[in-house]
Amino acid sequence: MGLRRDLRIMARGWRWGDAPPRPVGVDAPQAGRKPYGWARRRPASAVRAAVLALGFAPLLRAEVSATVDGVEVLERVEPPVLFVANHASHLDAPLVLTALPPRWRDRTAVGAAADYFFSSPARALATALVFNGFPVERFGRSQAGRLSLELLEDGWNLLIFPEGTRSPDGWMGDVHPGAAHLAVATGRPVVPTALWGTYRAMPRGAAWPAPGRPPVRLRFGEPLLPEAADNSRSFNRRIRAALAVLLDEQSSTWWEARLRAGRGETPDPAGPPAARWRRVWEATRADDDGGGMWAR
Amino acid sequence: MTRPGFVLEVDRRTPPLLFHAGEGFTLQQLPEGSRVVYPPDPLPGLADVDGAIERALSEPCDSEPLDALLRPGMRLTIAFDDLSLPLPPMRAPDIRGRVIEHVLEHAAAAGVDDVELIVANSLHRRMTAHEIRHVVGERVFRSFWPDHLRNHDAEDPEGLVYIGRTEHNEDVEVSRRAAESDLLVYVNINLVAMDGGHKSVPVGLASYRSLRSHHNVHTMMHSRSYMDPPSSALHASCERMGRLLGGHVRIFTIETTLNSRSFPAPYEVLQRREWEWSARDQATLLALKQATGRMPVELKRALFQRIRAPYEVTGINAGSTAAVHERTLANVHRQQLVEVEGQADILIAGIPYLGPYNVNSVMNPILVVCQGLGYFFNMYRGKPLVRRGGVMIMFHPLYRHFHQVHHPSYIDFFEEVLAETTDPAVIEGKYEEQFATDPWYVHLYRTSHAYHGVHPFYMWYWAAHAMDHLGDVVFVGGDRATAARLGFRCASTLEDALEIASGTVGGSPRITALKCPPLVLAEVR
Repeated sequence: MGLRRDLRIMARGWRWGDAPPRPVGVDAPQAGRKPYGWARRRPASAVRAAVLALGFAPLLRAEVSATVDGVEVLERVEPPVLFVANHASHLDAPLVLTALPPRWRDRTAVGAAADYFFSSPARALATALVFNGFPVERFGRSQAGRLSLELLEDGWNLLIFPEGTRSPDGWMGDVHPGAAHLAVATGRPVVPTALWGTYRAMPRGAAWPAPGRPPVRLRFGEPLLPEAADNSRSFNRRIRAALAVLLDEQSSTWWEARLRAGRGETPDPAGPPAARWRRVWEATRADDDGGGMWAR
Repeated sequence: MTRPGFVLEVDRRTPPLLFHAGEGFTLQQLPEGSRVVYPPDPLPGLADVDGAIERALSEPCDSEPLDALLRPGMRLTIAFDDLSLPLPPMRAPDIRGRVIEHVLEHAAAAGVDDVELIVANSLHRRMTAHEIRHVVGERVFRSFWPDHLRNHDAEDPEGLVYIGRTEHNEDVEVSRRAAESDLLVYVNINLVAMDGGHKSVPVGLASYRSLRSHHNVHTMMHSRSYMDPPSSALHASCERMGRLLGGHVRIFTIETTLNSRSFPAPYEVLQRREWEWSARDQATLLALKQATGRMPVELKRALFQRIRAPYEVTGINAGSTAAVHERTLANVHRQQLVEVEGQADILIAGIPYLGPYNVNSVMNPILVVCQGLGYFFNMYRGKPLVRRGGVMIMFHPLYRHFHQVHHPSYIDFFEEVLAETTDPAVIEGKYEEQFATDPWYVHLYRTSHAYHGVHPFYMWYWAAHAMDHLGDVVFVGGDRATAARLGFRCASTLEDALEIASGTVGGSPRITALKCPPLVLAEVR
């Protein structure tokens, strides 16, 4: 009955100052036009290119020791494509964007959680301007799928993190089939993009990369094209398998990873089942020595 | 396009949900995974209500047009639903009044002089002149009150006529004036699927002798539910009676349906889905909750009883009772039906300030039981929302308050009968006759504005199916002594109630909550 108690309940329940609550399976309000269209026009693109090249790229160089491999695969594919990446850190999107050649980067939009990045006007503005972010509804049916489709049709490459959220323990979570569905629906190729070490460099809850320029690696894989027999689920399995091989390759060598893939022994990127602390422990090892829980 | 009803699964992004709790409200965070049944949004109303009424009268279903049934020198009786419908009462003009005006226009044009209007209040309290005027409108009221517009009197030996017995030995005794008319026009508001059809005349204009044939524990135990006429023994009985009655008097049924726009400004927030509440809605609810939390209960009652709903009319059908009612039910279902997959272990509902029997009155504890275990529990087709042996949790303060004028026999029922037993069958066998024939109650029913002496028994029977079906009933925030008298349990918080329920249904129950009002009828598969 107390006013303060009611205020507290309502402030928390209705997320005052944040995005309004919306349970799973509930339709988002319909928007009349493509949201944040301004962010994909020329002036915003120019600002974005400057911020990424002059701001983020030097900052990342200063804070982490990044290795980028596989950019050459982009020579063998025509845009637009879907970059589908694992996700463990806020470093992931700027890393991928700064790793892309400018002509690709300038035409790439990043799927960002609507309930987080677009929850307040200031955050939404920054996300749309700096990362060319577009809102993706993580939990319910919404128009987000349609917006992604329209962006692809307009020639925009999409960077999508199909886990829907940053890994809570450094290991890969469930791969939702949204990106696979888009690829199957449009026939556009998927470029699997594996990020390694970003959890250790800047995990959830951290606002700045860890000191000592922790190593991070990024590898673009061979583009995957949906085949005639593929549906969203089967193609999603192929994407996940490709990411698993790439991650394996990050922590060993290309050849060893290929051999294990051939034998069907690619380690599950979801990691072994264990208490959360052990998973975090494993994911934050100073260097991957091939031991520990990830037995090979 | 109206949004259909749906079943929400509570997750971490679901805001606290609003439940009514008598003349107040509570915001509750249900456990994740709980399901909440939301009714469809209000259907669009008819653009031309008067045109629709005229069409219904001139092109009725399975009947000649009204004009063909009217002639000079005939006896015409118009009966209509009493103040128990709709809930909350409808903002003027009430659709019954509008329909009656059209019928009277036709009667006047046909030269019919002998016209009587009867409130089909059955054993409910007599409506006051003010209440009747609200329903029929000023013009009709001034033309007919008090000599030719009156309440039905189920205890007037001169005013009743015995029609006979159905093939199931059910006595049919109804208003003499209605039965001996050349034409009986019945005008209803079909708020829920239980209403209307053959339940209108054989119940609304009947006597205790007639009503006891189906208003009893046996019938209610075999009405599963009474919101689903094909599965309801109550409706089967009424239908037999209606058919028998149809052989004696020509009945022209006019049924109307309303959409679910139940709350006017500033109460609209009460029927919005919580995650769609604007800042204004949140402020309104906060103000309402705080204000009602601080007001004396009498003031709250006065405030809420003033609510007049801005319903819109969604359908008007006229003609033979069965044909009309089929269309009416389709309209009701269109507004209220929601499919629900599977039964729950626990059903949660908030009991609002208003039920059919406390309009302009007090919702006493027996009426709370009727509202929760009677009406809300029975808002299903197929299977109950909660499994056999499950638990129902309700929010209501369970004040031990009774309206001295409207519910005198309720007080004695609560103090004497329930102190003895809460078993509906025992109560029926031991006490019903005594209360039903008590001369003082009969006198109050006939001359004051009291519900009939037997009425609290019917309220208890209405809940009999639920009492038999449920393993436990818990009232959150209820008065403990009152709950104990009713035979139920009390909890301070929902968490405590779930804890109590875990003794019956285990530690990880499936929970379904009913968001009502506006009314929602669950099709449970």
